[in-house]
Amino acid sequence: MTNAMTMIPDLDIPGSQSTPAIRSDWAAGRLTLQGDSYPENSYELFDQVIAWVERFLSDESRPLALELTLVYLNTSSVKAMMDIFDLLEEAHEGGRPVSVTWHYDPRNERIAELAEEFKEDCSYPFAITPTPVTP
Amino acid sequence: MDLLKMRESYQRERVMLCFNGPISRSLIEEIGKALRNYLDTQQAAPAAAMDVFAAYIEMTQNIRHYARRQGYDDEQASATVVVSQDDQGHYRVSAGNLVQTPDGERLAATIDDLARLDRAELKAAYKRQLRQPRVDASSGAGLGLLDIARKSSRPMRASLQPLSDQQSFFSLTATL
Repeated sequence: MTNAMTMIPDLDIPGSQSTPAIRSDWAAGRLTLQGDSYPENSYELFDQVIAWVERFLSDESRPLALELTLVYLNTSSVKAMMDIFDLLEEAHEGGRPVSVTWHYDPRNERIAELAEEFKEDCSYPFAITPTPVTP
Repeated sequence: MDLLKMRESYQRERVMLCFNGPISRSLIEEIGKALRNYLDTQQAAPAAAMDVFAAYIEMTQNIRHYARRQGYDDEQASATVVVSQDDQGHYRVSAGNLVQTPDGERLAATIDDLARLDRAELKAAYKRQLRQPRVDASSGAGLGLLDIARKSSRPMRASLQPLSDQQSFFSLTATL
């Protein structure tokens, strides 16, 4: 058994061409993912993110906020993200305050469409927010 | 080597980018980057460029996953990838690879099945597939095809050409 008081280390994974930058903040209850995500095996990357979310939701009772600026996701990343959104849904049904904010460049409607499809299966606050476009 | 013939054929087929050979993880990224840059210089709409990129990624990653499951060597794991435009200006992504013939037949049948689904049915099938348990963590093969089908402006086309008793060349074309 793991000790519930042990804090799981925060994630600080730099982004690459095919993987997003991932940062977690246990103290603030925040998880941030930014960039493209199309690794061949998304679970090699996302398993640790899923583990962090599971741990935060089970050890803490504070709100959890996901801040996403994801752009392109391959289907294997879509599946991994759905697993994370499902964890949030489960927590939300248990009365836990959770939220997602997905920032996107309004010049590319595909990103908003992808976010909308995720949102369809979530009953917690899920904001899809265009970022200001600099001319 | 008759480069002029190749050039003429590329021009006739409006080929923007093509590749033939063993395809590694990093090569997929590098070619993908070149493809994105090219689409950018062509001033393709960001959504259209992303659709082309997505079809390219799903196809090439499917080929890699399949070759790995089969334990193919580099030579057998070669991919032929072409990005082109049809005569109406639609982007086309094609990819071909060596397969065991029964696998190719199954895949071609899947493509035919997908061709019969309308947008709503494709979306429902995609969401169903998304909820399947992850059997093989490295692969969402069915999901990739559904994703390409959803982004396509017309049904995908597949063909299977025999190479030997057991193996065939499978090619798939998506028109975005």
